[in-house]
Amino acid sequence: MTAVIALNAVSHCFDGAAALTNLSLSVQPGESVALLGPSGAGKSTMLALLDGRLRGWQGQASVLGNQLSATRSPARETRADIGFIFQEFALVDRLSVYQNVMNGRLGRMKSWPALWGRFGEQDHICVTRALQDTGLSDLAHRRADRLSGGQRQRVAIARCLAQDPELILADEPVSNLDPAHAERILGLITGAARSRGIGVMFSSHQPELSRRFADRILGLRGGEILFDKRSGQVTSEDIDGLYHGISATAGLRVVS
Amino acid sequence: MGRSVIWGALALAILWSLSSADMGLEKLPGAGSRLTEFLGRMIPPDLSIWPEVLRGLAETLRIAILGTLFAIILSAGLAVLAAETLVPPAIWRPVRGMLAVIRSIPLILVAMLMVGAVGLGPLPGILAITFHATGMLAKFYSEAIDNVAAAPVAALESAGASRTQQLRWAIWPQMAPVILRDTVFRFELNLRESLILGIVGAGGIGLYVQTYVRSFQYDKAATVTLAIVGLVLLSEALNTALQKRFS
Repeated sequence: MTAVIALNAVSHCFDGAAALTNLSLSVQPGESVALLGPSGAGKSTMLALLDGRLRGWQGQASVLGNQLSATRSPARETRADIGFIFQEFALVDRLSVYQNVMNGRLGRMKSWPALWGRFGEQDHICVTRALQDTGLSDLAHRRADRLSGGQRQRVAIARCLAQDPELILADEPVSNLDPAHAERILGLITGAARSRGIGVMFSSHQPELSRRFADRILGLRGGEILFDKRSGQVTSEDIDGLYHGISATAGLRVVS
Repeated sequence: MGRSVIWGALALAILWSLSSADMGLEKLPGAGSRLTEFLGRMIPPDLSIWPEVLRGLAETLRIAILGTLFAIILSAGLAVLAAETLVPPAIWRPVRGMLAVIRSIPLILVAMLMVGAVGLGPLPGILAITFHATGMLAKFYSEAIDNVAAAPVAALESAGASRTQQLRWAIWPQMAPVILRDTVFRFELNLRESLILGIVGAGGIGLYVQTYVRSFQYDKAATVTLAIVGLVLLSEALNTALQKRFS
């Protein structure tokens, strides 16, 4: 079975400061992995790298069997197979919820008909289902800039689900959601991993939720993997060690 | 302290403006009766010249439409070269400088130069409007480009959207309302400004204003004035109606 994610000795620096240091790991189809760690641990950097958007990193990385390049974006087909849920949602404000979700389908279509707003039946089916799954059906025709923060986050999630990806990467996908929605969404994406055999990796600041929904937890700190365990084996010492010496204000590191 | 300096400078500027000896203030008391006489001669307006007035208005409208159209075409290209987010400073800085210079040249001056270059008629008017409007439109368009949020575009790229799809579904939706609003606004300005182009021989209804006022045919000048007021009010109403849709 080909790993959906395979990293080998991957490192990256931002302006001379190490953001990722010598990371190696692999994720199998059907597996959902949670990334835990304080702010600045390298979670977002790692997810951007796996999405093929990071430049100038070293090492070897492949996603869904495609080697990633440190200098250019993956091919269109590969990008369409990797779904990404953005932390800042990245919606087009003036478009409707429906069209924002439809935008997730663009990678699966021919370029030209989509320019005139002509989408295929399959695309409409995927969008409708994604809206139902995220509880947005009633808001389908509302403009994205008329939504609350939590609703916008669900649109970003629906866009990713409509894309029908082979791998879902999610940067703090439930940070703006109330507990009920957070559980529903995490259940949805990790459920997709199990039922459809796709890979899922999401970052989070909620150890409890992560332990409940992910199969595996990766503890990241200072760009290094502190632990990599099955969810059931993660102890509260592991979690304490991850955040130890991190002050509550903006993830600043204090004397440790 | 800074505030008192500003007020002082303002007071000096006003005093200096009033100090001129040859302003002819002594003519002011007699102006009222003369103005009443003019107005009296304007009533009733001579409506027999309607056909001519309509022809003049049509020509003014054509000048404004074509001038705006060519300015849009030029601005689309120049805006890319003036966009900070698309080209290096070595390009956008000089292009923006050039646009500022274009904006600073009064339209009537451009029109006179164009009449000198291509002769009388609507053509110099169209050229002048094109030139003048491009200075403003290209700047507005480049700002619209620079204000496009990058994150939604990156999201579509990440989802596998092609470059043209990104343009259509992430970049254009962000730019469109700004571009349309600025263009309609500029068209209204172009229409107002092309009303006077005829005075320097650059086509349109301005020629009739010139002719009738100079030859003391105030009843005919009144008809032209009514027509101009009507057109401006109409374009303003149109602009207002359209602006409401761009948000």
